[in-house]
Amino acid sequence: MKDKRRPKALSGKNVRYYYLLALTPFLFLVIMYELMPLIMLVVDSFKSEKAKDVLFTFENYRKIFTTLSYKKAILNSLKITTISTAFGIVIAFLGARAAYNSRGKFRNAYLTVLNMTSNFAGVPLAFAYMIILGNAGVVKQIANLYGIDFLQNFDLYSSSGLTMIYVYFQIPLSTLLLIPAFNGIRKEWGEANMLLGGTNTHFWHKVGIPVLLPSLFSTLSVLFANALSAYATAYALLMNNFSLLPVNISASFVGDIKTKPKLGAALSVVMMIIMSIVILVNNYITKKTTKWEGS
Amino acid sequence: MQKRARINAAIVMSIIILWLMIPLGATAVYSLFEDWTGIVPRGFTLANYKTIFTDTAFLSAMYQTVLICVIPILITIAVMLLALFTVTVYFPKLEKYMQLLCMIPYTIQGVILSVSILILYARNDSVLSQRMVMLMGAYCIIILPHIYNGIRNGMRAINMKMLLDAAEMLGESKLKAFFKVIVPNIMTGIIVSSLLAVALLFGDYVIIRNLSSANVNNMQQFLYQAMKRSSTEASAVSMVIILITFAITALVLALQSRGMLEKMRNEGK
Repeated sequence: MKDKRRPKALSGKNVRYYYLLALTPFLFLVIMYELMPLIMLVVDSFKSEKAKDVLFTFENYRKIFTTLSYKKAILNSLKITTISTAFGIVIAFLGARAAYNSRGKFRNAYLTVLNMTSNFAGVPLAFAYMIILGNAGVVKQIANLYGIDFLQNFDLYSSSGLTMIYVYFQIPLSTLLLIPAFNGIRKEWGEANMLLGGTNTHFWHKVGIPVLLPSLFSTLSVLFANALSAYATAYALLMNNFSLLPVNISASFVGDIKTKPKLGAALSVVMMIIMSIVILVNNYITKKTTKWEGS
Repeated sequence: MQKRARINAAIVMSIIILWLMIPLGATAVYSLFEDWTGIVPRGFTLANYKTIFTDTAFLSAMYQTVLICVIPILITIAVMLLALFTVTVYFPKLEKYMQLLCMIPYTIQGVILSVSILILYARNDSVLSQRMVMLMGAYCIIILPHIYNGIRNGMRAINMKMLLDAAEMLGESKLKAFFKVIVPNIMTGIIVSSLLAVALLFGDYVIIRNLSSANVNNMQQFLYQAMKRSSTEASAVSMVIILITFAITALVLALQSRGMLEKMRNEGK
């Protein structure tokens, strides 16, 4: 009823701009807690830690690329991220292909396990691995009991232990991301391949993988981002004793040791740049490989 | 050939299931037995669970977790509904910028978001420097991509323009029609995306560690501290966290498959 007696000023085009008000809460949230913090982060990374009056310096970046421990953090992060992403994508390919090749109840159980474990990460996951493979872990004790050498010597609190846990949380995520892509492969293509005398390897090499390529690359960038920014798993297992980008960043802002917020800001910028490069390269390759259009 | 592929698939699936279940099973067994140093655990007990559920610190962490999960989700949904309504109906040209803004948190993630908020507000004197406010702000941003996708996909699935025009012809304003007609129609999408957001915030450790003050604790932080005290108690805490996460995921799956059924039924008509 009210609408009919709406004043003229609010009708037509003006009503449209009146609705811009409805956008203000969103803009407020995004500007206050996303854009401004990020801008400040970049600005701060060019400020000096000691001299407060210096407004622009490369001091922090120079320090990062000349100090061994920071270089090590970057290398460790890249290493663990790359290895766990590689394992993740290979296992996901096999895992998603298995789901594609099967039907029925077992497949449903499999999908349920993948979904359920896809949120199992961070502190609870690190703790579960400590129960199994930690110094007082079950497997360790059994290995001691029966004298199984390679298990006795396995060190969970190392980069290989950490990689193993990272691979764990990559598996459900990547498999779930790849399963829909496999549905794009038609069963008839496999039959055609067989009729023409092609082998299974032939099929995946010439047909399957090229069709999946765009999805494989987009999954890769999700996995990379996921592993690079993982903090809780590493911190719960090794605290600040292992150099990793996210761990070093957090430690330069919060913690027992002296904080170095400007350097932490520069480390954050380095991490954002690595992340952006990987995502951009992947997007580019995905676009290049999507020449083939289904339907 | 077909049969061989099926057998291979079964083997691969079994190995993956086993691999994924081992850490879960280990945590469960560890929390339920007094002693597990040989192959077979000994002395079944529920004492660990009794300990944590009578511990007021644990219960308060649980209560705080619920609170700091629910509030940001409600805020973000309200803000997102208003914004998406305005943009899709009145300013479709702004859509791509909005999408970009909503996807940024996906690439910056928890560590960088929390430290950048800390830089901006920690030395501020206003209400913005309060730890709780910073935490809420960060949580609203980190769930932005999920809530955006959930509501956006829901809107795409129904014919929003037609429904709104019809409502307008019947004398309702568009905004009213949006909340009366559109929102109930995309409710499942909203609920699913908020559950995904709950799972995300529930699993957060780094943002709350960096932003909250010492007296605010979530269950993940409680678990971390319990790990230092006693591993049997920690295993019970861990199990509770795992079970709650499972319950959330199960709810999401149930709602999604119901949504799928409804869609199939509608298409059949």
